[in-house]
Amino acid sequence: MAADVKPFIGSKASPHQESEAEELRKEHLMLDPMPRDEMNQMVMEAMTTTTRKWWAWVIGLGLAVAVLLFGAWGYMIATGMGVAGIRRPVFWGIFIVTFVFWIGISHAGTFVSAILRVFKAEFRRPFTRAAELMTTFGLAAGALYPLIHLGRVWVFYWMVPYPNARWLWPNFRSALVWDFLAITTYLLSSTIYLFLPLIPDMAMARDRSSGWRHFIYKLLALGWRGTEAEWFRLRKAISIFAYAIIPVMFSVHTIVSWDFAVSTVSGWQSSIFGPYFIIGAILSGVSAVVTILYILRSTMKNMDYFIRKEHFDALGKLILVFSMAWAYFFFNEYILSWYGGDAAVKQVLTLHATGPSAWVWYTMLICNVAIPWLFLWNKKVRRTPWLMFIITLLVNVGMYAERYTIIPLTLGHQRNPFDWGIYNPTIIEVSIALGTLCLFIFLYLIASRFIPLVPVWEVQEGQMSHTLRKVGKTEIPSVTELE
Amino acid sequence: MTELLAKEAHDEKWGMVIDLDICSGCQACVTACSMENNIPFVGEDEMAYGRGMQWMRIRRYWEGEYPEVTPDYQPMLCQQCGSAPCEPVCPVFATLHSEVEKINLQVYNRCIGTRYCANNCPYHARTFNWFDYEIPAPMNSYLNPDVTVRRRGVMEKCTFCVQRIVKGRQQASAEGREIEDGDITPACAQACPTDAITFGNLSDPESRVSKMVRSDRAYKELENLGTEPRVTYLKGGKSYGG
Amino acid sequence: METNVRMILFKEDQIDQASDAIETLHHHGISDKDISVISGVPFSEKILGRPMSWTRVPQIAVAGALFGFIIAMLLNFLVPNLYKLSVGGMPLTPIPTSIVVTFELTMLGLLISTFLGVFIEMLSPSFGPKGYHPKISDGYIGILFNCPTHADEDTCFELQDLGAEIVDLAEVKQP
Repeated sequence: MAADVKPFIGSKASPHQESEAEELRKEHLMLDPMPRDEMNQMVMEAMTTTTRKWWAWVIGLGLAVAVLLFGAWGYMIATGMGVAGIRRPVFWGIFIVTFVFWIGISHAGTFVSAILRVFKAEFRRPFTRAAELMTTFGLAAGALYPLIHLGRVWVFYWMVPYPNARWLWPNFRSALVWDFLAITTYLLSSTIYLFLPLIPDMAMARDRSSGWRHFIYKLLALGWRGTEAEWFRLRKAISIFAYAIIPVMFSVHTIVSWDFAVSTVSGWQSSIFGPYFIIGAILSGVSAVVTILYILRSTMKNMDYFIRKEHFDALGKLILVFSMAWAYFFFNEYILSWYGGDAAVKQVLTLHATGPSAWVWYTMLICNVAIPWLFLWNKKVRRTPWLMFIITLLVNVGMYAERYTIIPLTLGHQRNPFDWGIYNPTIIEVSIALGTLCLFIFLYLIASRFIPLVPVWEVQEGQMSHTLRKVGKTEIPSVTELE
Repeated sequence: MTELLAKEAHDEKWGMVIDLDICSGCQACVTACSMENNIPFVGEDEMAYGRGMQWMRIRRYWEGEYPEVTPDYQPMLCQQCGSAPCEPVCPVFATLHSEVEKINLQVYNRCIGTRYCANNCPYHARTFNWFDYEIPAPMNSYLNPDVTVRRRGVMEKCTFCVQRIVKGRQQASAEGREIEDGDITPACAQACPTDAITFGNLSDPESRVSKMVRSDRAYKELENLGTEPRVTYLKGGKSYGG
Repeated sequence: METNVRMILFKEDQIDQASDAIETLHHHGISDKDISVISGVPFSEKILGRPMSWTRVPQIAVAGALFGFIIAMLLNFLVPNLYKLSVGGMPLTPIPTSIVVTFELTMLGLLISTFLGVFIEMLSPSFGPKGYHPKISDGYIGILFNCPTHADEDTCFELQDLGAEIVDLAEVKQP
């Protein structure tokens, strides 16, 4: 059956079309069906195979998290914020930069999973979960920063709205409280959004595991049998989520941008910051999905069946489009600030491009605009996974540079030249930033061996609805709507 | 309670006028402020790195082309804005507007150290406790009991010597009279050798500050931002060095 | 009337046969409420010729959204009045900032209650014959039905002709 098109919808291909059909099948996962039990087996195998290298990475990263993140953070808590390089006038540095970066990464999952789901982009099917995991762990890493950067982290809960002995509620007029609410909402809802489509796959894993794994999967599968009512309910819930989580995602990065845009800081006060940040977040998020897919494909068993060149190709096109959109917003923000003629804003713009840290600004432009525009129009490049890996890594370097330009480099050159200052990150700050990167990879590594990284039922559903249809002299892929 | 206080201190709106034409940049105000408000010393290196804790700083600019340069001093402190950018951004109400004195308060024990207010202050008037600073002996004996000391991780800034305002009000109330112009002098104004700093009630049109605010030489720092600063600078002719 | 819980399995590509089997069961006087279909991939009711399933998840979600909205209103307009603190020349309860809080909390209420709805419905007792077989997650379509004992054999033979795999009674168990 595996070598055939789906019989219950399509018709048998005649022999002379075989080779053409073969090509299409090799190209498209959706046209290359595999019996479900084999597919299950492949996913289970990918999930339960732990090589020595994997253990080495897990232990290494675990140690790195302990030392780089928690060690450095603990030292900072015990000593004071002064161990970071921030100082007047740059009160926010690497911490907030990395915070915005991770929140940006977290837009990947929702974008791929919710927007592509709503628009029924079929290529999303095999990697929705990989992207959703990025969202959850990106947020987990990012949500640490509002804590890390607090001068007195031990009283962080004063930001939480609850009746308390201090008789004091948080200030709902502060953008930081919005931030807190938005990130909480996004973290909770994206975790649930990760979990909902996982339920049938948990049941799958439950049916073919034993011991502690069986126990955990049984618990998480919530007694899933796959009755019509269960499927119907799940579909309803997933579609509510897919539609509702999109505005939440937009609101999260908008509010992050408002942390800057509501202020009086020249160079931050900009009404275009909301959409500008969202586009940047999606650009960096989708790029990170490609980066992760490359790693998954080259390190995990059986992944080359699920993740194919077509996926890199499709995501590459998206990245190109978002890179153009980002450039548009950047230019829009730039030219209007420049044209406005405010001396302080002009000064900030000039210093970005010619000041001592101008290389950050140029890195941003090269990585976010020049590289995608030069390479991604080319189909061959988009279909070469390792090249895509490098390009997408560079895009994220560029996005990090963007946030660095916006935050410390803008803060350092405000209205009074007497208060200008350059900020240099200290080893502690860099260590904490690297620590959260290690935390992200660490969590991802653990999760990759714990939950089925490919939504098997969604892939099978897709394969059942795809078929080759004969039109004139050739066969073309066609999709049936089973829903 | 708040209403009662407001009644007692009817129409208080404290303001300051600094005459830049007679300011010599001697830093006596900076020193006096540090002593009055228990501001710790951070040491030479930290100071140079931009972590000085002084609530009042003398901004020094050079005017003219080398070698024809003249120094230009501007004492910079919290402007006690009527519409302060630092206030609404604080998630925990650690900085807020006082209804009584009409100044900008900083509540140290509410502060969780987001430093958002400091970024958002166009005057860079706020300082942050980067570490727990020890005040070395014998200076620790000079600590002012009227002012709390601050621990690491909280923001602080000029308070217009609110402790002196409260004391002055209590004194006047004990003597059964209204606060008079000149009753209250913050440490900086008291220490200024050229009397460049004047402090008083802006809601009283006859007070010295109110009269000075109406001067032709008066300007407010970054007034175009709409922050409604309560500090007015006077600058006209050039008579540097007092 | 005594009944047995029977389970038959069809391969994932035998969807037409599965829907025929359901029709056969109807002919034998087994009503829809005595049949449940379980599968490893979702099939719509129309494909199988079954009545619509129902769920209360959307209603629960809307109720949750309403709850979030009310909480947001309290936080926006009641809470600041408990301890009046003025900041930056802003009114005590400004509308523009309240919209942000309202949006986030309404969405939080909506999304969490959607999940709670799924969670509660999953744990609540379900209608129809119970039973499960691990082959379901291999993509098989399972039809569970309450079969009257006297008609047992006839029905089974007829279903076997359609290509169904009859699961031994002892193997039909809960997951």
